[in-house]
Amino acid sequence: MVLKVFFPSCCSSAESGILIGRWISEQNSAVILAVVHFPFIPVQVKQYLSEVQRVTKVSVSVLGSWSNSKQEKEESLSEFLEDLGTIFSHEPWIQISKEGDSKFWSCSTLQKHSNNPKEEEIILVYYDQRKVMLSHLHPPLATATSTDHNADDASKLSAVFDTVAKSKILFMTDRYDDGPIKLTHWQSDGVEASIIVELMKQASVPACMLLTFLLSLISGICRSRVLKFWPLSFLWSKLSTCEQLGHRLQHLQVISSNKKAQNQTQLMRKANIFVSLLIDVALGILLMSWLYRKNRIGHLADTLIPVADHVAEELQDLLQWLMGAPAGLKMNRALDQVLGRFFLYHIHLWISYIHLMSPFIEMILWYVGLSACLGLTVALCILSDIIALLTFHIYCFYVYGARLYCLKIYGLSSLWRLFRGKKWNVLRQRVDSCSYDLDQLFIGTLLFTILLFLLPTTALYYLVFTLVRFNP
Amino acid sequence: AGTGSGELRKNVHARRYRYRAVVFQSGAVVQQLCSVCVFVVTWWYMDAGMLSPQGLFGAALVTSLLGYVLFDAVDGGAGRREKSGRTRWADLKSTLVFAAFTYGFSPVLKTLTESISTDTIYAMSALMLLGHLIFFDYGANAAIVSSTLSLNMAIFASVCLASRLPRSLHAFVMVTFAMQIFALWPMLQKKLKARTPRCYVGVTVLFALAALGGLATVSSVGAVLFASLLLAISCLCPYCLIRLQLLKDNIHGPWDEAEIKEDLSRFLM
Repeated sequence: MVLKVFFPSCCSSAESGILIGRWISEQNSAVILAVVHFPFIPVQVKQYLSEVQRVTKVSVSVLGSWSNSKQEKEESLSEFLEDLGTIFSHEPWIQISKEGDSKFWSCSTLQKHSNNPKEEEIILVYYDQRKVMLSHLHPPLATATSTDHNADDASKLSAVFDTVAKSKILFMTDRYDDGPIKLTHWQSDGVEASIIVELMKQASVPACMLLTFLLSLISGICRSRVLKFWPLSFLWSKLSTCEQLGHRLQHLQVISSNKKAQNQTQLMRKANIFVSLLIDVALGILLMSWLYRKNRIGHLADTLIPVADHVAEELQDLLQWLMGAPAGLKMNRALDQVLGRFFLYHIHLWISYIHLMSPFIEMILWYVGLSACLGLTVALCILSDIIALLTFHIYCFYVYGARLYCLKIYGLSSLWRLFRGKKWNVLRQRVDSCSYDLDQLFIGTLLFTILLFLLPTTALYYLVFTLVRFNP
Repeated sequence: AGTGSGELRKNVHARRYRYRAVVFQSGAVVQQLCSVCVFVVTWWYMDAGMLSPQGLFGAALVTSLLGYVLFDAVDGGAGRREKSGRTRWADLKSTLVFAAFTYGFSPVLKTLTESISTDTIYAMSALMLLGHLIFFDYGANAAIVSSTLSLNMAIFASVCLASRLPRSLHAFVMVTFAMQIFALWPMLQKKLKARTPRCYVGVTVLFALAALGGLATVSSVGAVLFASLLLAISCLCPYCLIRLQLLKDNIHGPWDEAEIKEDLSRFLM
């Protein structure tokens, strides 16, 4: 009968020692779980194995020897390995040896008590221990008991899977432990990385605590009453940088909280936030490294002022056009002039302000660029804020135009009701008829006439500045 | 369905009109037409520069004071005490508000319609004055009557026309005059009509003659047309009303309830 040896691929580079595993006699196969290294005391190994056996309910035993000799094969070692078979009596005794870097392994079995030492065929099966252990095939299926031949094969395999999965406790100790027995199995590979992970786990707790404390301090300052007064709170809500920083603060709080994630969704959420934060910061640092090379910030600052000048010139042209007879529309000349001069003066103020600022712009940009280390999104937010601040005059025009237009429309609608001798009843939410005094009627109609004739001018200014604002 | 012939009656609410009474009542329409005519003629004079704003303002002030005195003298102050309850202080305050607002806004009014074509302004004013005449409260009890709307339309028209005048003082005087002729004058008329009908007829005839005379100096054809319009309204229309009254045929009476006599079952099958 063919002898099958299931050998974990991770042990192929292990040092010499003895193989421990389970012997499945009905299938005539050996499942090797780990390699125990020299030196060891046989009694202790037996003790350990019996303990493992007690916990896992898997009959783990010493199956054979493993020799991985880097140099020439030594006679004494092979003899010693053969002698081991007498100490750990197992039938058959499997001897696997590998020489140097050669790809050829020699595998033999020793059957001491057998009277017919016939040559047995051996199949060496490699298996990935970790994957086998984690795969969910190992609970033996109920259908495995069926007489079907395929199911029988499946149960054979599942026994192997089951063996590996059940002997988890064996993988808890490895050769770095202080115990009397040194083992090699899948856990012992990449142990440096796992040490780093473990160290990070240990270190992350105080780091998180520190971070939480700092964050609570910052959020406490942010929530303090000084910053909540009217003009400031309005300002915060308008600046996208502040919004972004608030989001960032929340994310950091989520990540650094000591509470364990309750379910998979929250865990994924945390991981997602963490990864996005990392990518964001990495991109930000990339941007920073690009910006601070070759005096790029200086070039940026140099181009910014001419652009602002150009925009202001365009606006001035637009206003001059509006103050004439735009598109042949019949505007009220006096109001047109007043509004046009008001806006021109505004642009003039703005330009002089920008020119006053121009020596400092490079410095401001330099310091603002530092914020990119907080993440690309923060840098982009600051950029958007800067652009919004540089085009603040356009926004102002839009607000003036819109406010004027709104007032005009509102006044016209209520005066139109007065014109018809009606009024808006607030309590009943409807239009009622009402008898006005003579002076009320007179003043109302006078204002109505004036507003009506000034409406096209205001409406045009509103329209133009709305278009400028939303379609720059 | 059918009518119960026994209870059928004809022309229950028909009124018997007398010619003189109808002519007297048509005085209100004539008066309002004349007001509009006087206003337009005055504007014409102002626009042509034949009437100085100071002169018009003085005349208007004097006539207003006279009218104010007359307003109280007609019923001996009874209406003021019992009906409206307005004090003289309130009147003065209203006058001051008018004057101050009009004077303050007159420069604005002057430049208000500069860029709008004159024809548009004329058309708008004509439309508004027509609306004023349509919606004016002539004493009829109809849904269309709205004295507020009518007065507002007149003010709108006056503002439009005033904005065409050469200077802002002109505009101020024009709007003030419009206020007097469209708001105060009908109030005095109403009181005169109620208290002293004879005096009212006299005032109406004089006013109509003055309006005709003013129009004649501007355009003789217009004066002739306007005179014929006034005559038609005060003489021809009442005659027509009384003649047509004879042809009135209104039936009144209860409707019989419809009774279904035939067997409906054949429809149901």
